[in-house]
Amino acid sequence: MPGLIGIYPFGLGRENWRLARFVYYGLLALQHRGQELAAIITYGNGDLHGSIKEGFVDEAFTEETLNAMPGFIGIGYVSPSPSQQPILVEAPMRIALIGDGKPKLGNGIQDSWRAFAERLADEISRTGDALSSARRLIEEVDGGYSFIALTENQELIAGRDLHGVKPLEVGSLGFDLGAIVSESSALDVLGMEHITHVNPGEVVKFDPYSIEKAKAKPEKKPNLSRCSFEYVYLARPDSTIDGIGVYEVRERIGMLLAKEKPVKADVVIGIPETAIPFSLGYSKVSGIPASLGFITTGRKVRTAIKPSLFERLMGVQLKLNPIRCVIDGRDLVLIDDSVVRGTTLRNTVWNMKRRGARRIHVRIGSPAITAPCPHGIEIPPPDELIARALDEKEIAEVVGADSFSFLSISGLCKAIGLKRNQLCLACWGCEKR
Amino acid sequence: MKIMGVGGGSREHALAEAIARSGHEPKIFWASESRNPGIYEIVKQTGGEYALAKTTDPMRIASLAEGWKVDMVVIGPEEPNFHGVVDEVEHRGIPCIGARRSLSILELSKAEMRRIQWRYGISGKLLFKTYRSYLDAVKDLEEHSELLSWLQNVALKPARQAGGKGVKVVEDAQIYLHSEKSQFKQRHMRWLEDYMSGYTDIEDKILVEEKVWGPEYTLQCFVDGRTVVGMPLVQDNKHAHEYDIGPETGGMGSYTGKGFILPFMTWEEYERSLKIVRSMVEAVQRETGERYHGFIAGQMMLTEIEGPTLIEMYSRLGDPEGVNVLAMLETDLVDILEAIIDERLASLKIRFSEVATVVKAVAPKGYPDFRDLAKNHPAAVDERIVEKSGCKLYWGSAHLDDSGQITTRGSRLLELLAFGETPQEASQKIEDCLARGAVKLLDGWGLFHRSDIGGEEMLRKRAEVAERVRRLYTYRERRGILGKRIDWIPKVGKLDPVRELTKELTGGEA
Repeated sequence: MPGLIGIYPFGLGRENWRLARFVYYGLLALQHRGQELAAIITYGNGDLHGSIKEGFVDEAFTEETLNAMPGFIGIGYVSPSPSQQPILVEAPMRIALIGDGKPKLGNGIQDSWRAFAERLADEISRTGDALSSARRLIEEVDGGYSFIALTENQELIAGRDLHGVKPLEVGSLGFDLGAIVSESSALDVLGMEHITHVNPGEVVKFDPYSIEKAKAKPEKKPNLSRCSFEYVYLARPDSTIDGIGVYEVRERIGMLLAKEKPVKADVVIGIPETAIPFSLGYSKVSGIPASLGFITTGRKVRTAIKPSLFERLMGVQLKLNPIRCVIDGRDLVLIDDSVVRGTTLRNTVWNMKRRGARRIHVRIGSPAITAPCPHGIEIPPPDELIARALDEKEIAEVVGADSFSFLSISGLCKAIGLKRNQLCLACWGCEKR
Repeated sequence: MKIMGVGGGSREHALAEAIARSGHEPKIFWASESRNPGIYEIVKQTGGEYALAKTTDPMRIASLAEGWKVDMVVIGPEEPNFHGVVDEVEHRGIPCIGARRSLSILELSKAEMRRIQWRYGISGKLLFKTYRSYLDAVKDLEEHSELLSWLQNVALKPARQAGGKGVKVVEDAQIYLHSEKSQFKQRHMRWLEDYMSGYTDIEDKILVEEKVWGPEYTLQCFVDGRTVVGMPLVQDNKHAHEYDIGPETGGMGSYTGKGFILPFMTWEEYERSLKIVRSMVEAVQRETGERYHGFIAGQMMLTEIEGPTLIEMYSRLGDPEGVNVLAMLETDLVDILEAIIDERLASLKIRFSEVATVVKAVAPKGYPDFRDLAKNHPAAVDERIVEKSGCKLYWGSAHLDDSGQITTRGSRLLELLAFGETPQEASQKIEDCLARGAVKLLDGWGLFHRSDIGGEEMLRKRAEVAERVRRLYTYRERRGILGKRIDWIPKVGKLDPVRELTKELTGGEA
């Protein structure tokens, strides 16, 4: 689930742009997609320049770093885990590549991205045709992934796997800049126009004189398989993915939850920030008023993906401070986005009861996570997934809730507005046909 | 009957073709700077002659017309108008379709066009400022950026028509990117000053206009000095590349809906747009005391602040937009041209076919900003593929030499046109034609075109934006604030930039 961005200038005077700061603010907008590592690579003065740092974007890059970075083409990357990316290939030609997801090459995620980048570099230097090289690679390499590569020939190449698992959106600024990003909200933050998405199996190439697109034509017609987790949890609600507004999906999820698992209560509360649109949707349909139940402290930390248990607990405590007057003496519908280990939820429920909540009915805005992600999203190993071990009733007992239920798989598909066979539902335990 | 045309692009090829279709069966004569392969063919077929000539040289063009004893001259591009070619041809007693030098000011000077619009109180205006040097501009913008908030989001343009080049739009709304964007603005203004130093026919160099957003469209008209007759609306696409990304070009392709107005426009908007163009013609005729005989076009945009808004004007047909309308024209073009000369357009019924059209330009890589790279490549077209795909070919920036070889001249090499029930259908025909390899450069240099023009997604997007803008401007209209801009500046109070500018331009009365 890393965040990718590439920004490219066109026309006379294109070398005058300094794009490091644009990439930086784009990465800030994609920060929710990865908080362990951040990288900016630029092309300028005839060479690639890079800065790769651990931690949050605004800590990783200082004003001085940005000011010192030359370059009129830029790509940027944030990762939720320590990563070998950006991949830099030196020979037979220099390219820098960043990827989201997992191409089926080599063994682990990191090897496969290196192998992918090397094959791309080999192909391009052999044929001299970056567009066709990337297209062929997508035809040959299965898996769920998207990537952006920057070559020593001032080419920016972006592509999406055949199934459209990982998102990739296109934007522009005036008569000058084109951009490819993981999420459209990054374009908004840069004051850019959001134009459309890159289609599944499509490659886009920016070079100094043109923009070219090519569509992979594999032997077998591929299934569409868009990542449903993006809509539920990963993406920002102000993003649009493949033409579908993430906020809308989340509000619809809340509405469907209220229909699927109605319950009597005084107030609906969503756990910040992801579950707030769910709670508003739930409230609309159930007629139970929604309130803010928590105020957060510190920066946004995504607790489901923090590596160690200690950090997770710290994250929760810092993140969620219940607002006593909202919950004291009341029956609540408490909505969260997903349950992985149940740790976060247990702490939250306990905290709220201590502050005076009476009954707490927990509703989850997604189905139960019971399987690993085949496309590289880091979900804890199966034996750490609570929904694999326990049923809804048992989970309610463990987390201390009065009732507990997940969204159904069909509810999820309905909320996104796509058919079951157009979505990747692997993490919810649904096998692809 | 003998008719002479001037200019060597795709628009002129389309003009020559439309003239050749006439029932008057005219002999066609032509002058342009390169030998356009398509026009050359038509000239040969009708038994006329073709001369290579500097089209901005009034004496040379008028002498050719005299020598060939033509009955009328039709000017294609704008530069001959700016250089007084029409004046000289008419001076020698030969009727001419084209804007006289003084009338072509509407296109020559984007600054003067705007001044006339403001002075005559014609709607669809934009706030603007002009500068004679880069330093003036930088100094003034620094001094006034506090007092005039519209200066944050601007279009920077050369003050003169400069072949659709040099326009940049800078929206400086993100304070965290301010330094990058203001540096960019300054660099571009310096570039504009350099670029404009090549033109000595106007004093203003840099035009700064308020930035607006909305769908663009072109309204082309016939004018005979009394009557302005509107043609079907066309949408041109200025960005060089797919997705509306990249530098401004003369136009990479254009489409019409089936029928007179574009799918995303209303008839009322059409009427208002026509009224704006008509008022501009009346204003420039009053200013100059001359009569306008020829083509005129408003390059327009539907904007939240003004509704139909004038962005720029052409003293000619658009290119590629002219290719769309000439292909749709059912009335004999020569009849129309004669009516223009005799000032009796009002009594002529002009018909256009009810069909969607798409035109796409194909250009060598390097166009528009690195034209040296785009020049001098040998080109070839397989006309059987063009015909089989249901397309029509209009040669553009290409030269046919004496040995029969065609080479690129650095701009748009050619345009392809197709008809359809919908723009999507027409667009697909052109895509198929190009995919089959109809157009090639023989030395292996790359060509590009925009596959998205007239396609489903583009039309949906334009309609969406138009709907958003329409909601806003009609709301403003209902509230009686269409065209109003009000600022409030601490320690200064309320400011009305429209009133201020009107005062400045009319010498006191607001």
